[in-house]
This record gives sequence, C-alpha cells and structure tokens, in this order.
Amino acid sequence: MVTRLDYKIPGGKLIRVEVEFEGGVVLRAKVAGDFFAHPESDFEAAEAELSRVPVDRLAEAALGAFSRPGLVLYGASASDIAETLRRAVDEAQVS
Amino acid sequence: MRLRFLDTGPGKGAFNMGLDEALLEAVAEGRSGPVLRLYTWDPAAITIGYFQSAAAEVDLEAAREAGVDVLRRVTGGGAVFHAAEITYSLVVPEGHALAPADILESYSRICGGLVEGLSLLGVEASFAPINDIVAGGKKISGNAQTRKRGCLLQHGTVLLDVDPERMFSLLKVPSEKLKGKLIQDVKARVSGLKGLLGREVGYAEAADALGRGFARAFGRLEAGPGRAAGTGAQFPEPVAALPAELLPSVPSPEELERARLLAAEKYSTSLWTMRR
Repeated sequence: MVTRLDYKIPGGKLIRVEVEFEGGVVLRAKVAGDFFAHPESDFEAAEAELSRVPVDRLAEAALGAFSRPGLVLYGASASDIAETLRRAVDEAQVS
Repeated sequence: MRLRFLDTGPGKGAFNMGLDEALLEAVAEGRSGPVLRLYTWDPAAITIGYFQSAAAEVDLEAAREAGVDVLRRVTGGGAVFHAAEITYSLVVPEGHALAPADILESYSRICGGLVEGLSLLGVEASFAPINDIVAGGKKISGNAQTRKRGCLLQHGTVLLDVDPERMFSLLKVPSEKLKGKLIQDVKARVSGLKGLLGREVGYAEAADALGRGFARAFGRLEAGPGRAAGTGAQFPEPVAALPAELLPSVPSPEELERARLLAAEKYSTSLWTMRR
C-alpha cells in the first residue's frame, strides 16, 4: 500500500512524503519538497536506507539516516522529516 | 577579485540549465576561472527544486499547452515560474571568498551583490535567510545553491514583474477553492521591480545594475572583514574598496557544445524531470 502526506513546516518549507509498504516493511520511502540538502547525494543515500525498514520503525530510522554526519539540511530538519513519515504511516494504519 | 562575466540573454530553459552545469564542469576541471553569468528565459519556463516532485508541483498538461517548459534544477528549493525576470548564476571553487564552508554565509555574500545591484536601481533590499531577498517587505529574489566537484554553483532570480494568475494556472494548487487565496498571498508577499518602482525595468537595465552591484559588493568583500563589518579598530580610516573586475566573455565552443548536450540528454528528458 502507498501512503502520502504533505507537511508544511510552520514558517518554513513543505515536505511531501510517499511511503510504499507491504507486510509491515517499507518498500520505498520518498521525501520530496522545497528544502535544501547538502550534499544532495547524501540525502538520497539516507532516503534509500529507508527501504526494507519495518514500518513501525520508519520514523526512528529516518531520524538516524537524515542526521548522518556531513549532511546539512536547510528548511527542513531530520526530525521534521521523521515526523512527517510517522504521521503518513499512522494515517495509513488508522484508515 | 576577478570574475569571468557572461551575459547570455534569453535562452530556452534546458539550455539555460545545461549551460549552468557546463560552467560548473569547466570551473571544476580548470578550464574556466570563477564565472558570473546573467540570462533570462524564452520561452517562459518553470523550474522545480532538485528534491521536488514534478507531478506534485506542476500542472504538466497546462504547462505543455501553454508552451512553458518544465525543468528540474540541480539545486534545491522550490518551484519557480521564470517569465519577467533576470537570472544569474555564479560558479566559484569552494574556499573562494564567495564560497566559504558555511553555506548560509555564502548565500549572504553572494546575495550581497544582488542587494547592491537593487540599490543601484533605487530599491532598498536585504538578504532574508535562507535564500531570499526582500524589498518593501516583499520577496523580490529567490536563490539556490549546490556544491559539486569542489565548486559552488548558485543561481537565482530578480523579478522584473509578477503575474500570479498565470503562475497559478501552471502550478498545482491544493484545490481550486484555494487558488484565489494563493494568488492574493503572492500579490501580498512577492513583488517585481515594476511593482516597487512603478515603472518597467527591462532586462538590459537590470543586467547593467546587477553587474555593477555584484562588482561593488564582491570588491568590498575582498577588502576584508574589518572594513566590511565596519569594526573600525582594524581599519580606522576605511578606504573605498575597488570593485571586483568583471571580465566580459562568451561561452567557449566546448562549453556551448556541452550545454547543448546536457540540454538534450538531461534537462529535456522526462527521466530527469520526473525522477522524483
């Protein structure tokens, strides 16, 4: 199943997440938005690490992945991203 | 400070993005010194930030029908409708006075050139972190930076005029009901030079002012932090800094060839535009 959620950070940027999961495991998590990440390739590496993570550990895994040393985020923090992913998964599991 | 200076005027979106990347490569490979470029867009185009989803941000069918190209940038940030505007790009090696390790500091230094150029046009503007410039309480410029291959590429726009109705006919809005409110928001929060000055400012006039503004601001930067910050202690009698030298240039045949190749094989492809 696929769940999507947009989260506008108060006074900041917009994060749009899309999570595809099956059997409690994330197949693919996409984190899009108008934020900045340097270097961009590290952001994409962090995003790729979220595949195969148990859905109920996605937010925690995202917080770790996007907090990696060397990755600098502007306009959205690792915890903003983790929180958006957590809400997206929560909404999918409630509905 | 010396910068190679290109004014390439109007270009297609894919070429514009291709040339910015070709210049990044040229500086990274030592084929060009630090370079500042001015340009604009013909036809109008929409660029989206590197991390954005094209389908989520742009009404792709409306853009196609309107003949507006949609392009993914190599830089982050938001969707931009490029119509009545002047655009710049700057490529310098990391460690250059315009590319300190601190990314926000480099935005501030580079945007200082735009602020100075705007002041030459009679607009009092200031840098608004992360990546905007505001004048009269409204955004007039957006900027975006990436660092690759040991170089900084920053590009950004100064709005000559805004047309929110046209912009929102091409960008996705959460609902038709909200469109009116979004248009009003943009009118309240964003302005072009025309709105601020009450007269038309064309590309040529803006290009002249921005060129001189970059030269002045970058020259001051080089004169040292003591003078720039006005601490007085280090330089009790501040001396007027010499402007940076802008050396008029054109893209080399190799750069043009590379720009056209990147336009055709990267920026015009749905593989790149739709990748997120």
